[in-house]
Amino acid sequence: MIAAEPLVRIDGLVKHYGKVEAVRGIDLEIQRGEVFGFLGPNGSGKSTTIRCLLGLLRPTAGHIGAFGLDATRDGVALRRRVAYVPGELRLPDRLSGMEFVASIGRLRGGFDPSRRDQLAERLRLDLHRHLRDLSSGNRRKVALLLAFLFEAELLVLDEPTSGLDPLMQHEFLGLVREARAAGATVFLSSHVLSEVQRAADRVAVLRAGKVVAQGTVAELRGRARQRVEIWFEDDPPGLELKALPDVVDPVVDDHRFTATLSGSIQPLLGLLARHQVISMLVEEPDLEEAFLDLYGGAA
Amino acid sequence: MNGRVLELVAVPLRAVRRATLWWAAGLASLVALTMSVWPAFKGSSGISQAMDQLPAGVVQAFGLQDFGTPAGFLRGNLYDFFVPLLLAIAAVTLASGQLASEESEGRLELYFAQPVDRRLVLLGRAAAVLVALTVITVVLLIAQLVSDAAQDLRIDTAYVASTIILSALLGALHGSLAVAIAGLRARPSLVLSVGLGVAFAGLIVFSLFPLSGAIAPWRHISPWDWAFGGNPLERATELWRYAALALPSVILTAIGVVSLTRRDIAAA
Repeated sequence: MIAAEPLVRIDGLVKHYGKVEAVRGIDLEIQRGEVFGFLGPNGSGKSTTIRCLLGLLRPTAGHIGAFGLDATRDGVALRRRVAYVPGELRLPDRLSGMEFVASIGRLRGGFDPSRRDQLAERLRLDLHRHLRDLSSGNRRKVALLLAFLFEAELLVLDEPTSGLDPLMQHEFLGLVREARAAGATVFLSSHVLSEVQRAADRVAVLRAGKVVAQGTVAELRGRARQRVEIWFEDDPPGLELKALPDVVDPVVDDHRFTATLSGSIQPLLGLLARHQVISMLVEEPDLEEAFLDLYGGAA
Repeated sequence: MNGRVLELVAVPLRAVRRATLWWAAGLASLVALTMSVWPAFKGSSGISQAMDQLPAGVVQAFGLQDFGTPAGFLRGNLYDFFVPLLLAIAAVTLASGQLASEESEGRLELYFAQPVDRRLVLLGRAAAVLVALTVITVVLLIAQLVSDAAQDLRIDTAYVASTIILSALLGALHGSLAVAIAGLRARPSLVLSVGLGVAFAGLIVFSLFPLSGAIAPWRHISPWDWAFGGNPLERATELWRYAALALPSVILTAIGVVSLTRRDIAAA
Protein backbone atom coordinates (compact mmCIF):
# COMPACT_ATOMS: atom_id res chain seq x y z
CA MET A 1 0.00 0.00 0.00
CA ILE A 2 1.33 3.44 -0.91
CA ALA A 3 1.12 5.94 1.92
CA ALA A 4 -0.96 9.02 1.13
CA GLU A 5 0.94 12.24 0.54
CA PRO A 6 0.61 14.35 3.71
CA LEU A 7 -1.39 17.54 3.36
CA VAL A 8 0.97 19.55 5.58
CA ARG A 9 4.65 18.73 5.61
CA ILE A 10 7.17 20.32 7.95
CA ASP A 11 10.80 19.25 7.58
CA GLY A 12 13.48 20.44 9.97
CA LEU A 13 11.80 23.78 10.56
CA VAL A 14 13.99 26.25 12.42
CA LYS A 15 13.04 29.82 13.21
CA HIS A 16 15.20 32.27 15.10
CA TYR A 17 14.31 35.84 16.07
CA GLY A 18 17.77 37.29 16.44
CA LYS A 19 19.29 35.23 19.24
CA VAL A 20 15.96 33.74 20.33
CA GLU A 21 15.46 30.21 19.00
CA ALA A 22 11.67 30.04 18.77
CA VAL A 23 11.55 26.80 16.74
CA ARG A 24 14.49 24.41 16.92
CA GLY A 25 13.90 21.75 14.29
CA ILE A 26 10.33 20.54 13.90
CA ASP A 27 9.33 17.62 11.68
CA LEU A 28 5.61 17.00 11.25
CA GLU A 29 3.18 15.57 8.78
CA ILE A 30 -0.55 16.15 8.82
CA GLN A 31 -2.68 13.83 6.75
CA ARG A 32 -5.63 14.93 4.66
CA GLY A 33 -8.91 14.81 6.58
CA GLU A 34 -7.52 14.58 10.10
CA VAL A 35 -7.83 16.95 13.02
CA PHE A 36 -4.30 17.52 14.24
CA GLY A 37 -3.79 18.96 17.70
CA PHE A 38 -0.79 21.14 18.38
CA LEU A 39 -0.22 21.35 22.11
CA GLY A 40 2.20 23.32 24.17
CA PRO A 41 2.42 26.20 26.59
CA ASN A 42 2.88 29.81 25.53
CA GLY A 43 6.27 30.36 23.95
CA SER A 44 6.74 26.75 22.88
CA GLY A 45 6.76 27.68 19.18
CA LYS A 46 3.19 26.83 18.14
CA SER A 47 2.26 30.23 16.74
CA THR A 48 5.67 30.66 15.12
CA THR A 49 5.25 27.35 13.27
CA ILE A 50 1.74 28.31 12.19
CA ARG A 51 2.82 31.75 11.01
CA CYS A 52 5.57 30.08 8.97
CA LEU A 53 2.92 27.85 7.38
CA LEU A 54 0.89 30.93 6.43
CA GLY A 55 3.97 32.52 4.84
CA LEU A 56 3.95 35.35 7.40
CA LEU A 57 7.37 34.34 8.72
CA ARG A 58 10.36 33.19 6.72
CA PRO A 59 11.95 30.04 8.15
CA THR A 60 15.57 30.33 9.26
CA ALA A 61 16.10 26.77 8.00
CA GLY A 62 14.05 23.80 6.90
CA HIS A 63 10.92 23.59 4.86
CA ILE A 64 7.23 24.08 5.57
CA GLY A 65 4.30 23.84 3.21
CA ALA A 66 0.97 22.29 2.36
CA PHE A 67 -0.69 20.77 -0.73
CA GLY A 68 2.80 20.26 -2.11
CA LEU A 69 3.31 24.04 -2.11
CA ASP A 70 6.09 25.90 -0.33
CA ALA A 71 4.78 28.41 2.22
CA THR A 72 7.32 31.09 1.34
CA ARG A 73 7.55 30.63 -2.42
CA ASP A 74 3.92 29.73 -3.19
CA GLY A 75 2.23 31.65 -0.37
CA VAL A 76 -0.66 33.07 -2.39
CA ALA A 77 -1.63 29.70 -3.91
CA LEU A 78 -1.30 28.01 -0.52
CA ARG A 79 -3.37 30.60 1.33
CA ARG A 80 -6.14 30.28 -1.27
CA ARG A 81 -6.83 26.86 0.24
CA VAL A 82 -6.32 27.78 3.89
CA ALA A 83 -8.48 29.56 6.46
CA TYR A 84 -6.73 30.98 9.53
CA VAL A 85 -7.66 32.18 12.99
CA PRO A 86 -4.69 34.04 14.53
CA GLY A 87 -3.76 33.52 18.15
CA GLU A 88 -3.30 37.21 18.79
CA LEU A 89 -6.42 38.56 17.17
CA ARG A 90 -6.65 42.23 16.20
CA LEU A 91 -9.40 43.42 13.89
CA PRO A 92 -9.90 46.78 12.17
CA ASP A 93 -11.85 49.00 14.58
CA ARG A 94 -13.68 51.16 12.11
CA LEU A 95 -15.61 48.40 10.34
CA SER A 96 -18.75 46.57 11.39
CA GLY A 97 -18.63 42.78 11.49
CA MET A 98 -20.68 42.66 8.30
CA GLU A 99 -18.31 45.04 6.49
CA PHE A 100 -15.23 43.15 7.62
CA VAL A 101 -16.64 39.80 6.52
CA ALA A 102 -17.59 41.36 3.16
CA SER A 103 -14.08 42.83 2.83
CA ILE A 104 -12.31 39.53 3.47
CA GLY A 105 -14.89 37.89 1.22
CA ARG A 106 -13.91 40.16 -1.67
CA LEU A 107 -10.24 39.23 -1.14
CA ARG A 108 -11.18 35.54 -1.31
CA GLY A 109 -13.46 35.84 -4.31
CA GLY A 110 -16.86 35.75 -2.62
CA PHE A 111 -18.91 33.60 -0.23
CA ASP A 112 -22.41 32.30 0.36
CA PRO A 113 -24.36 34.93 2.38
CA SER A 114 -26.76 32.32 3.75
CA ARG A 115 -23.80 30.39 5.16
CA ARG A 116 -22.57 33.61 6.79
CA ASP A 117 -25.97 34.21 8.41
CA GLN A 118 -26.18 30.59 9.53
CA LEU A 119 -22.75 30.75 11.17
CA ALA A 120 -23.54 34.09 12.82
CA GLU A 121 -26.68 32.56 14.30
CA ARG A 122 -24.87 29.48 15.57
CA LEU A 123 -22.14 31.61 17.12
CA ARG A 124 -24.72 34.10 18.44
CA LEU A 125 -22.87 36.93 16.81
CA ASP A 126 -24.33 40.28 15.84
CA LEU A 127 -22.43 41.22 12.70
CA HIS A 128 -24.04 44.63 12.50
CA ARG A 129 -22.09 45.94 15.48
CA HIS A 130 -18.80 47.77 15.06
CA LEU A 131 -15.78 45.58 15.71
CA ARG A 132 -14.45 48.11 18.22
CA ASP A 133 -17.60 47.63 20.32
CA LEU A 134 -17.25 43.84 20.51
CA SER A 135 -15.87 41.92 23.46
CA SER A 136 -12.75 39.81 22.89
CA GLY A 137 -14.95 36.71 22.80
CA ASN A 138 -17.18 38.19 20.13
CA ARG A 139 -14.17 39.32 18.10
CA ARG A 140 -12.92 35.75 18.25
CA LYS A 141 -16.33 34.64 16.95
CA VAL A 142 -15.88 36.95 13.94
CA ALA A 143 -12.55 35.24 13.17
CA LEU A 144 -14.13 31.80 13.64
CA LEU A 145 -17.00 32.73 11.34
CA LEU A 146 -14.49 33.75 8.69
CA ALA A 147 -12.55 30.50 9.16
CA PHE A 148 -15.60 28.33 8.56
CA LEU A 149 -17.26 30.57 5.98
CA PHE A 150 -15.07 29.82 2.99
CA GLU A 151 -15.07 26.03 3.36
CA ALA A 152 -11.29 25.93 3.01
CA GLU A 153 -9.44 22.64 2.59
CA LEU A 154 -7.17 23.37 5.55
CA LEU A 155 -8.25 25.18 8.69
CA VAL A 156 -5.38 26.57 10.73
CA LEU A 157 -6.74 27.55 14.12
CA ASP A 158 -4.39 29.11 16.66
CA GLU A 159 -5.96 29.17 20.15
CA PRO A 160 -9.40 29.40 18.52
CA THR A 161 -11.57 29.29 21.63
CA SER A 162 -9.61 31.76 23.73
CA GLY A 163 -12.20 34.03 25.39
CA LEU A 164 -15.22 31.91 24.41
CA ASP A 165 -17.74 30.69 26.97
CA PRO A 166 -18.20 26.89 27.40
CA LEU A 167 -21.35 26.88 25.29
CA MET A 168 -19.51 28.46 22.39
CA GLN A 169 -16.54 26.12 22.87
CA HIS A 170 -19.00 23.28 22.43
CA GLU A 171 -20.41 24.91 19.30
CA PHE A 172 -16.89 25.35 18.00
CA LEU A 173 -16.16 21.64 18.42
CA GLY A 174 -19.33 20.92 16.47
CA LEU A 175 -18.12 23.15 13.65
CA VAL A 176 -14.75 21.38 13.62
CA ARG A 177 -16.42 17.98 13.38
CA GLU A 178 -18.66 19.19 10.55
CA ALA A 179 -15.71 20.65 8.66
CA ARG A 180 -13.85 17.39 9.03
CA ALA A 181 -16.88 15.41 7.89
CA ALA A 182 -16.98 17.66 4.81
CA GLY A 183 -13.39 16.67 4.04
CA ALA A 184 -11.43 19.53 5.61
CA THR A 185 -8.18 19.05 7.47
CA VAL A 186 -7.84 20.93 10.76
CA PHE A 187 -4.60 22.09 12.35
CA LEU A 188 -5.67 23.01 15.86
CA SER A 189 -3.20 24.73 18.13
CA SER A 190 -4.17 25.10 21.73
CA HIS A 191 -3.07 24.97 25.30
CA VAL A 192 -6.62 23.97 26.27
CA LEU A 193 -6.07 20.24 26.59
CA SER A 194 -9.69 19.18 26.93
CA GLU A 195 -10.46 20.89 23.64
CA VAL A 196 -7.70 19.04 21.78
CA GLN A 197 -8.58 15.80 23.55
CA ARG A 198 -12.16 16.04 22.30
CA ALA A 199 -11.43 17.24 18.80
CA ALA A 200 -8.11 15.83 17.63
CA ASP A 201 -7.20 12.51 16.04
CA ARG A 202 -3.48 13.01 16.47
CA VAL A 203 -1.49 15.33 18.64
CA ALA A 204 2.01 16.78 18.70
CA VAL A 205 3.31 18.25 21.93
CA LEU A 206 5.77 21.11 21.66
CA ARG A 207 8.28 22.17 24.21
CA ALA A 208 10.84 24.95 23.80
CA GLY A 209 10.60 24.84 20.03
CA LYS A 210 10.77 21.07 19.62
CA VAL A 211 8.23 18.28 19.28
CA VAL A 212 8.61 16.18 22.42
CA ALA A 213 5.78 13.74 21.75
CA GLN A 214 3.62 12.85 18.83
CA GLY A 215 0.88 10.31 18.34
CA THR A 216 -2.82 9.63 18.57
CA VAL A 217 -4.74 10.93 21.54
CA ALA A 218 -5.05 7.31 22.71
CA GLU A 219 -1.28 6.80 22.48
CA LEU A 220 -0.61 9.92 24.41
CA ARG A 221 -3.10 8.87 27.03
CA GLY A 222 -1.29 5.52 27.19
CA ARG A 223 1.81 7.34 28.26
CA ALA A 224 0.01 8.97 31.12
CA ARG A 225 0.24 7.72 34.65
CA GLN A 226 -2.85 5.78 35.69
CA ARG A 227 -3.94 5.22 39.25
CA VAL A 228 -5.15 1.64 39.80
CA GLU A 229 -6.98 0.16 42.76
CA ILE A 230 -7.64 -3.62 42.84
CA TRP A 231 -9.59 -5.70 45.37
CA PHE A 232 -8.65 -9.43 45.57
CA GLU A 233 -10.66 -12.38 46.86
CA ASP A 234 -7.55 -13.55 48.73
CA ASP A 235 -4.28 -11.87 49.66
CA PRO A 236 -2.88 -9.89 46.73
CA PRO A 237 0.15 -11.40 44.96
CA GLY A 238 2.30 -8.55 46.33
CA LEU A 239 5.70 -9.69 45.10
CA GLU A 240 4.48 -10.43 41.58
CA LEU A 241 2.63 -7.09 41.44
CA LYS A 242 5.65 -5.13 42.63
CA ALA A 243 7.82 -6.87 40.05
CA LEU A 244 5.66 -5.69 37.14
CA PRO A 245 7.21 -3.09 34.83
CA ASP A 246 6.12 0.56 35.22
CA VAL A 247 4.52 0.04 38.64
CA VAL A 248 5.16 3.01 40.89
CA ASP A 249 4.33 3.39 44.59
CA PRO A 250 2.74 -0.06 45.08
CA VAL A 251 0.86 -0.51 48.36
CA VAL A 252 -0.59 -3.82 49.57
CA ASP A 253 -3.16 -3.31 52.29
CA ASP A 254 -5.15 -6.38 53.32
CA HIS A 255 -7.03 -7.50 50.17
CA ARG A 256 -6.44 -4.24 48.39
CA PHE A 257 -3.63 -3.27 46.07
CA THR A 258 -3.02 0.31 44.87
CA ALA A 259 -0.33 1.65 42.57
CA THR A 260 0.40 4.10 39.81
CA LEU A 261 1.17 2.79 36.34
CA SER A 262 3.63 4.82 34.29
CA GLY A 263 3.31 2.57 31.24
CA SER A 264 1.03 0.03 29.62
CA ILE A 265 -1.65 -1.65 31.69
CA GLN A 266 -1.28 -4.91 29.70
CA PRO A 267 1.24 -6.74 31.95
CA LEU A 268 -0.97 -6.02 34.99
CA LEU A 269 -4.04 -7.41 33.22
CA GLY A 270 -2.08 -10.54 32.28
CA LEU A 271 -1.18 -11.14 35.91
CA LEU A 272 -4.69 -10.44 37.21
CA ALA A 273 -6.13 -13.04 34.82
CA ARG A 274 -4.52 -15.70 37.00
CA HIS A 275 -6.07 -14.41 40.24
CA GLN A 276 -9.52 -13.89 41.74
CA VAL A 277 -10.26 -10.18 41.46
CA ILE A 278 -13.37 -8.73 43.11
CA SER A 279 -13.18 -5.25 41.64
CA MET A 280 -10.83 -2.97 39.88
CA LEU A 281 -10.76 0.79 39.51
CA VAL A 282 -8.65 2.55 36.91
CA GLU A 283 -8.78 6.31 36.88
CA GLU A 284 -8.95 7.31 33.24
CA PRO A 285 -5.89 9.32 32.37
CA ASP A 286 -6.44 12.81 31.23
CA LEU A 287 -4.45 14.21 28.36
CA GLU A 288 -3.50 16.93 30.77
CA GLU A 289 -1.72 14.34 32.90
CA ALA A 290 0.11 13.07 29.85
CA PHE A 291 0.95 16.61 28.96
CA LEU A 292 2.23 17.46 32.42
CA ASP A 293 4.24 14.26 32.51
CA LEU A 294 5.98 15.25 29.31
CA TYR A 295 6.68 18.70 30.64
CA GLY A 296 7.70 17.42 33.98
CA GLY A 297 10.31 15.17 32.40
CA ALA A 298 13.91 15.98 31.78
CA ALA A 299 14.67 18.53 29.07
CA MET B 1 -7.98 40.19 -9.34
CA ASN B 2 -9.11 43.78 -9.90
CA GLY B 3 -11.74 43.48 -7.19
CA ARG B 4 -9.07 42.26 -4.79
CA VAL B 5 -6.72 45.13 -5.63
CA LEU B 6 -9.54 47.66 -5.23
CA GLU B 7 -10.39 46.17 -1.85
CA LEU B 8 -6.77 46.57 -0.74
CA VAL B 9 -7.05 50.30 -1.53
CA ALA B 10 -10.63 50.75 -0.29
CA VAL B 11 -10.00 49.41 3.23
CA PRO B 12 -7.16 51.82 4.13
CA LEU B 13 -8.89 54.65 2.26
CA ARG B 14 -11.89 54.20 4.49
CA ALA B 15 -9.61 54.20 7.52
CA VAL B 16 -7.95 57.52 6.58
CA ARG B 17 -11.16 59.18 5.45
CA ARG B 18 -11.69 61.20 8.60
CA ALA B 19 -8.03 62.23 8.94
CA THR B 20 -8.04 63.30 5.29
CA LEU B 21 -11.04 65.53 5.83
CA TRP B 22 -9.47 67.11 8.91
CA TRP B 23 -6.21 67.80 7.08
CA ALA B 24 -8.08 69.25 4.10
CA ALA B 25 -10.32 71.41 6.29
CA GLY B 26 -7.35 72.55 8.38
CA LEU B 27 -5.27 73.61 5.40
CA ALA B 28 -8.23 75.29 3.69
CA SER B 29 -8.93 77.23 6.90
CA LEU B 30 -5.27 78.19 7.21
CA VAL B 31 -5.31 79.54 3.65
CA ALA B 32 -8.60 81.40 4.12
CA LEU B 33 -7.42 82.94 7.39
CA THR B 34 -4.05 84.00 6.00
CA MET B 35 -5.62 85.41 2.87
CA SER B 36 -8.05 87.47 4.90
CA VAL B 37 -5.20 89.79 5.93
CA TRP B 38 -3.93 90.28 2.37
CA PRO B 39 -5.88 93.55 1.84
CA ALA B 40 -3.82 95.09 4.67
CA PHE B 41 -0.56 94.05 3.03
CA LYS B 42 -1.51 94.72 -0.58
CA GLY B 43 0.88 97.19 -2.16
CA SER B 44 2.11 98.29 1.25
CA SER B 45 5.64 99.49 0.94
CA GLY B 46 5.70 100.04 4.70
CA ILE B 47 5.65 96.32 5.39
CA SER B 48 8.44 95.70 2.92
CA GLN B 49 10.45 98.50 4.44
CA ALA B 50 9.90 97.07 7.91
CA MET B 51 11.12 93.71 6.69
CA ASP B 52 14.13 95.40 5.18
CA GLN B 53 15.15 96.40 8.70
CA LEU B 54 15.70 92.72 9.47
CA PRO B 55 19.01 91.06 8.61
CA ALA B 56 19.04 90.00 4.96
CA GLY B 57 19.72 86.39 5.94
CA VAL B 58 16.68 86.21 8.19
CA VAL B 59 14.45 87.77 5.53
CA GLN B 60 15.71 85.29 2.97
CA ALA B 61 15.58 82.27 5.30
CA PHE B 62 11.96 82.91 6.23
CA GLY B 63 10.84 84.09 2.80
CA LEU B 64 9.90 87.54 4.07
CA GLN B 65 11.08 89.53 1.06
CA ASP B 66 8.52 91.43 -1.01
CA PHE B 67 5.74 90.91 1.55
CA GLY B 68 3.58 93.52 -0.15
CA THR B 69 3.52 91.71 -3.50
CA PRO B 70 1.12 88.79 -4.19
CA ALA B 71 3.96 86.28 -4.74
CA GLY B 72 5.94 87.57 -1.75
CA PHE B 73 2.86 87.42 0.50
CA LEU B 74 1.96 83.85 -0.48
CA ARG B 75 5.57 82.69 -0.20
CA GLY B 76 6.27 84.33 3.13
CA ASN B 77 3.02 83.31 4.79
CA LEU B 78 2.19 79.95 3.29
CA TYR B 79 4.40 78.30 0.70
CA ASP B 80 7.97 79.03 1.72
CA PHE B 81 7.74 76.21 4.27
CA PHE B 82 4.46 76.18 6.21
CA VAL B 83 2.09 74.45 3.78
CA PRO B 84 4.71 72.11 2.23
CA LEU B 85 5.81 71.05 5.71
CA LEU B 86 2.21 70.36 6.77
CA LEU B 87 1.67 68.28 3.62
CA ALA B 88 4.84 66.30 4.35
CA ILE B 89 3.70 65.71 7.94
CA ALA B 90 0.28 64.57 6.67
CA ALA B 91 1.84 62.13 4.18
CA VAL B 92 4.33 60.68 6.67
CA THR B 93 1.81 60.25 9.50
CA LEU B 94 -0.82 58.72 7.22
CA ALA B 95 1.71 56.29 5.69
CA SER B 96 3.11 55.36 9.08
CA GLY B 97 -0.38 54.84 10.49
CA GLN B 98 -1.58 52.67 7.63
CA LEU B 99 1.55 50.54 7.41
CA ALA B 100 3.89 50.42 10.39
CA SER B 101 1.26 51.07 13.08
CA GLU B 102 -1.34 48.73 11.62
CA GLU B 103 1.21 45.96 11.12
CA SER B 104 2.90 46.30 14.51
CA GLU B 105 -0.51 46.22 16.21
CA GLY B 106 -1.34 42.99 14.36
CA ARG B 107 -4.24 44.47 12.40
CA LEU B 108 -2.78 43.42 9.05
CA GLU B 109 -2.35 39.78 10.09
CA LEU B 110 -5.71 38.67 8.68
CA TYR B 111 -5.08 40.56 5.43
CA PHE B 112 -1.61 39.06 4.94
CA ALA B 113 -3.18 35.64 5.65
CA GLN B 114 -5.51 35.94 2.63
CA PRO B 115 -4.62 34.76 -0.87
CA VAL B 116 -3.11 38.11 -1.86
CA ASP B 117 0.48 39.05 -2.53
CA ARG B 118 1.84 40.98 0.43
CA ARG B 119 3.32 43.49 -2.02
CA LEU B 120 -0.23 44.42 -3.04
CA VAL B 121 -1.19 44.98 0.59
CA LEU B 122 1.62 47.57 0.87
CA LEU B 123 0.91 49.11 -2.53
CA GLY B 124 -2.80 49.34 -1.72
CA ARG B 125 -2.03 51.27 1.44
CA ALA B 126 0.51 53.51 -0.30
CA ALA B 127 -2.10 54.21 -2.99
CA ALA B 128 -4.68 55.09 -0.33
CA VAL B 129 -2.26 57.61 1.20
CA LEU B 130 -1.63 59.05 -2.27
CA VAL B 131 -5.38 59.42 -2.86
CA ALA B 132 -5.75 61.09 0.55
CA LEU B 133 -2.88 63.48 -0.26
CA THR B 134 -4.46 64.26 -3.63
CA VAL B 135 -7.81 65.08 -1.99
CA ILE B 136 -6.08 67.37 0.53
CA THR B 137 -4.16 69.06 -2.30
CA VAL B 138 -7.25 69.62 -4.45
CA VAL B 139 -9.14 71.15 -1.51
CA LEU B 140 -6.09 73.31 -0.74
CA LEU B 141 -5.86 74.46 -4.37
CA ILE B 142 -9.56 75.32 -4.51
CA ALA B 143 -9.34 77.18 -1.18
CA GLN B 144 -6.33 79.14 -2.45
CA LEU B 145 -7.87 80.07 -5.80
CA VAL B 146 -11.21 81.04 -4.24
CA SER B 147 -9.39 83.13 -1.60
CA ASP B 148 -7.24 84.80 -4.28
CA ALA B 149 -10.38 85.85 -6.12
CA ALA B 150 -12.24 86.89 -2.96
CA GLN B 151 -9.35 88.99 -1.59
CA ASP B 152 -8.35 90.34 -4.99
CA LEU B 153 -4.86 88.84 -4.89
CA ARG B 154 -3.72 89.03 -8.49
CA ILE B 155 -1.31 86.28 -9.40
CA ASP B 156 -0.99 83.88 -12.29
CA THR B 157 -3.22 80.89 -11.47
CA ALA B 158 -0.78 78.55 -13.17
CA TYR B 159 2.02 79.68 -10.80
CA VAL B 160 -0.20 79.09 -7.76
CA ALA B 161 -1.23 75.67 -9.07
CA SER B 162 2.34 74.59 -9.80
CA THR B 163 3.49 75.78 -6.33
CA ILE B 164 0.77 73.72 -4.67
CA ILE B 165 1.49 70.70 -6.89
CA LEU B 166 5.19 70.95 -6.02
CA SER B 167 4.24 71.13 -2.32
CA ALA B 168 2.12 68.00 -2.73
CA LEU B 169 4.91 66.18 -4.60
CA LEU B 170 7.33 67.10 -1.83
CA GLY B 171 4.82 65.65 0.65
CA ALA B 172 4.49 62.53 -1.49
CA LEU B 173 8.28 62.14 -1.53
CA HIS B 174 8.40 62.12 2.27
CA GLY B 175 5.36 59.84 2.39
CA SER B 176 7.20 57.44 0.07
CA LEU B 177 10.20 57.57 2.37
CA ALA B 178 7.83 56.53 5.17
CA VAL B 179 6.57 53.67 2.97
CA ALA B 180 10.14 52.53 2.32
CA ILE B 181 11.00 52.52 6.04
CA ALA B 182 7.72 50.76 6.88
CA GLY B 183 8.62 48.13 4.28
CA LEU B 184 11.94 47.60 6.02
CA ARG B 185 10.67 47.57 9.62
CA ALA B 186 7.20 47.70 11.17
CA ARG B 187 8.21 50.31 13.72
CA PRO B 188 6.05 53.44 13.75
CA SER B 189 8.57 55.42 15.82
CA LEU B 190 11.31 54.68 13.28
CA VAL B 191 9.07 55.55 10.32
CA LEU B 192 7.95 58.82 11.89
CA SER B 193 11.39 59.90 13.06
CA VAL B 194 13.07 59.19 9.71
CA GLY B 195 10.20 60.60 7.61
CA LEU B 196 9.76 63.79 9.62
CA GLY B 197 13.48 64.10 10.39
CA VAL B 198 14.36 64.12 6.69
CA ALA B 199 11.59 66.68 6.03
CA PHE B 200 12.92 69.06 8.69
CA ALA B 201 16.54 68.48 7.72
CA GLY B 202 15.72 69.25 4.08
CA LEU B 203 13.95 72.42 5.13
CA ILE B 204 16.94 73.57 7.21
CA VAL B 205 19.34 72.88 4.35
CA PHE B 206 17.11 74.76 1.91
CA SER B 207 16.52 77.74 4.23
CA LEU B 208 19.81 78.19 6.04
CA PHE B 209 22.59 76.86 3.80
CA PRO B 210 22.23 79.76 1.32
CA LEU B 211 23.18 82.14 4.15
CA SER B 212 26.74 80.87 4.26
CA GLY B 213 28.82 81.12 1.13
CA ALA B 214 30.85 78.00 1.80
CA ILE B 215 27.92 75.63 2.17
CA ALA B 216 25.44 77.47 -0.03
CA PRO B 217 25.93 75.15 -3.05
CA TRP B 218 24.96 72.18 -0.86
CA ARG B 219 21.40 73.49 -0.67
CA HIS B 220 20.82 71.62 -3.92
CA ILE B 221 20.87 68.30 -2.05
CA SER B 222 17.59 69.26 -0.39
CA PRO B 223 14.34 68.12 -2.02
CA TRP B 224 12.96 71.47 -0.91
CA ASP B 225 15.39 73.12 -3.28
CA TRP B 226 14.31 70.83 -6.10
CA ALA B 227 10.72 71.89 -5.44
CA PHE B 228 11.03 75.61 -4.73
CA GLY B 229 14.54 76.57 -5.89
CA GLY B 230 13.05 77.94 -9.11
CA ASN B 231 10.66 80.36 -7.31
CA PRO B 232 7.49 78.78 -8.73
CA LEU B 233 5.21 81.63 -7.59
CA GLU B 234 6.97 84.02 -9.94
CA ARG B 235 8.33 81.89 -12.76
CA ALA B 236 7.19 78.89 -14.77
CA THR B 237 8.52 75.72 -13.17
CA GLU B 238 10.89 73.55 -15.16
CA LEU B 239 9.54 70.05 -15.81
CA TRP B 240 12.58 68.40 -14.28
CA ARG B 241 11.56 69.70 -10.86
CA TYR B 242 8.35 67.66 -10.95
CA ALA B 243 10.31 64.62 -12.12
CA ALA B 244 12.98 65.14 -9.44
CA LEU B 245 10.29 64.76 -6.80
CA ALA B 246 8.12 62.09 -8.46
CA LEU B 247 10.86 59.70 -9.55
CA PRO B 248 12.46 59.18 -6.11
CA SER B 249 8.94 58.69 -4.75
CA VAL B 250 8.43 55.78 -7.12
CA ILE B 251 11.87 54.36 -6.26
CA LEU B 252 11.28 54.67 -2.50
CA THR B 253 7.90 52.93 -2.80
CA ALA B 254 9.57 50.14 -4.78
CA ILE B 255 12.20 49.80 -2.03
CA GLY B 256 9.37 49.43 0.50
CA VAL B 257 7.69 46.76 -1.62
CA VAL B 258 10.85 44.73 -2.15
CA SER B 259 11.87 45.03 1.51
CA LEU B 260 8.50 43.77 2.71
CA THR B 261 8.86 40.57 0.67
CA ARG B 262 12.17 39.82 2.39
CA ARG B 263 11.18 40.07 6.01
CA ASP B 264 8.79 38.61 8.58
CA ILE B 265 5.38 40.12 9.16
CA ALA B 266 5.28 41.58 12.66
CA ALA B 267 3.06 39.90 15.23
CA ALA B 268 0.84 41.79 17.66
